Amino acid sequence: MIRNARKDTLIAYVLIAPFVAIYGLIFVYPTIDMFILSFQDAPLITFGPQTPEWTGLDNYTRLPDDRRFGTAFWNTAYFVLLTVVPGTLVALAIAMGITRLSGRLQALVLALFFLPYILPVSVVYRIWDWTLNFQFGIAMHLFDVLGIDRVPIFKTSTWFMPAVAFVTIWWTCGFSILLFLAGLRAIPTEIYEAAELDNAGRWTVFRKLTWPLLWPITALVLTIQLILQLKIFDQVYLFSIGGRPNDNLVMVYYIYQRAFQNDDGGRAAAIAVVLFLIVIVVSVLNFQLLRLAERKT
Amino acid sequence: MKHLMGMALGATLATAAQAQETVVWWDFLSGGDGVRMKSLIEDFNAAHEGEITIDATTLEWGVPFYTKVQTSVAVGEAPDIMTYHASRIPLAVSQGVLQPITDADWEQMGLSQDDFAEATWNAVTVDGEQYAVPLDTHPIVLYYNRDLLEEAGRLNEDGTPMGLDSREGFEETLAALKDAGVEYPLASVTADGNFMYRTIYSLMGQQDGELLTDGEFLAGDNAEKLQNALSVLQEWTNNEWQSTYTDYPATVALFTSGEAGMMINGVWEVPTMKDLADEGRLFDWGAVELPIIFDHASTYADSHAFAIPANNGVDEGTAKRDAVLEVISWISENSLFWATAGHIPANSGVTASEEYSQMEPNATYSSLTENMIFDPQSEFSGVAGPMFDVMSTYFVPTLNGEMDPAEAVEEIQYELNDM
Repeated sequence: MIRNARKDTLIAYVLIAPFVAIYGLIFVYPTIDMFILSFQDAPLITFGPQTPEWTGLDNYTRLPDDRRFGTAFWNTAYFVLLTVVPGTLVALAIAMGITRLSGRLQALVLALFFLPYILPVSVVYRIWDWTLNFQFGIAMHLFDVLGIDRVPIFKTSTWFMPAVAFVTIWWTCGFSILLFLAGLRAIPTEIYEAAELDNAGRWTVFRKLTWPLLWPITALVLTIQLILQLKIFDQVYLFSIGGRPNDNLVMVYYIYQRAFQNDDGGRAAAIAVVLFLIVIVVSVLNFQLLRLAERKT
Repeated sequence: MKHLMGMALGATLATAAQAQETVVWWDFLSGGDGVRMKSLIEDFNAAHEGEITIDATTLEWGVPFYTKVQTSVAVGEAPDIMTYHASRIPLAVSQGVLQPITDADWEQMGLSQDDFAEATWNAVTVDGEQYAVPLDTHPIVLYYNRDLLEEAGRLNEDGTPMGLDSREGFEETLAALKDAGVEYPLASVTADGNFMYRTIYSLMGQQDGELLTDGEFLAGDNAEKLQNALSVLQEWTNNEWQSTYTDYPATVALFTSGEAGMMINGVWEVPTMKDLADEGRLFDWGAVELPIIFDHASTYADSHAFAIPANNGVDEGTAKRDAVLEVISWISENSLFWATAGHIPANSGVTASEEYSQMEPNATYSSLTENMIFDPQSEFSGVAGPMFDVMSTYFVPTLNGEMDPAEAVEEIQYELNDM
């Protein structure tokens, strides 16, 4: 049979057309619109008496002096610092432990660590609010018994971010554990047997074998975590309801606030563009650095 | 013949459709008052069987509700009628989401300016036009535990707390409660600046303070008045007279569990107290107008009102509009039941009734209608609005002793003018 190249191409186009159409409609178009919006003084929704006006770079030039933008920016950076590397290391440690178990016990322990990951964020919030609430939290009664002063954890800016970071690691590390476990299983056992014959110690085995062989997975987990945590919103929003949201602002929260609370679509779009660029730059940088590290080992 | 029959059938169908109007209704009333509103809606539906049915949905209070309204109006999918906070009407008008209530509408509903308190009427008026029909006013009040006050020796013979007429008097009551072993003489929502806005704005009003004067925030000595209000509250914290870092649910729980002697909260918590008392799980309680801390009585209030969204086809002269107006007027007339949710009915015909004067605790605090102040009329105003938000940011650190009141006022001024 003679292949008709032109027909093949046509079929290919037809087959990918639905995807391209949907992708264009719900991703490309809104993204372009966001860029346009960021140069306008526009309400959240253009309707009735409200019409957008072109304001050039105003929405951007305001940002350096905008205190809330500063708070949001630094809080996001702080949160990334508190979650990405610590979360990855915790997951690695747990995965290393689980991999030593076998059979049903391994399945059970893995399930226990994975369980929090399937909870919706609202449930996560409820659990930890019940635990750490200043007046009625279970942990506070424990503090009383131990003679420690109660701490209003989610109501002070000192404790808020570390506490939310802790809850986030608890909640999401199940997925990273799974990735690490898969990576650990992919390492051939012969290599370990050979190391054993050479009398290599545990630490040497980890440093010289497990760590380098697991590096692609570690790099993947780090990248996923980085992008995810830069976009942090849900937990911060829920834990600051009825508290002090403006001290706990993160980037996405500030976008939400500008757009929905202050009806300021233009300024919200400008912040969204900045976050968009940060995510791109940071993830490209992260990826290149990790590749560099891989070559070295 | 067949043709004729078809026409006749069409006509019958048309009348049937006209006779039964469905009014799509959105509100944000959950909790105790939501239950009461649902029961009112059921009564309405029963009384209008075959004519009008209300199809009601309750949405989440605050920003989620108002965002949904804005979006739905823009795409022409708004409900036929919705509840709205009077304080947010200036913002709503600037967004074009509301239809004005015309003179013809008022006439058809059998209501007029004379049926409402002046402050309430003004709150729904923008540039001489009304954009909503007030259902109630809901101020904040002082809840108190009679048993604890009696133990502390600060209960009047008529069952009200002593010392409501001056700062010294009220602080004496707080101190006496503390001495009597009450851990929190006053339960305050100190973790939530949004909530405290209501108390602090009341205390500003007691000094004739204004937030917005001719477009300027905290003009003249108003900044000082705000600082005075914050200083009083911070002192209560320093003296350990009020609960710190307490969020809303915890505040209510501190009061209802008897750990706090008094609580400043909205009248909408009246159903909570009533229901607990009916189950025999609450102490002897009461609610009164806020104490006078400065020069004269003044209390923050807002109003739940009914509004007709724009761009929804409920235009003048349509049968749908008639149905919507009937809903508003019927519920306004029957708002005595709504008062069991703690709110003060906006319809003065209802508050003047014999039954209302027998209703407790409403009758005790309804005197404050003369002293209530609403948010300034501005598109920055309103519950969960931008002004609310800016001020709340600095209330929490101040009320918990992290920030100096003077510094807080400075920051608030800076941010308000930066909006």
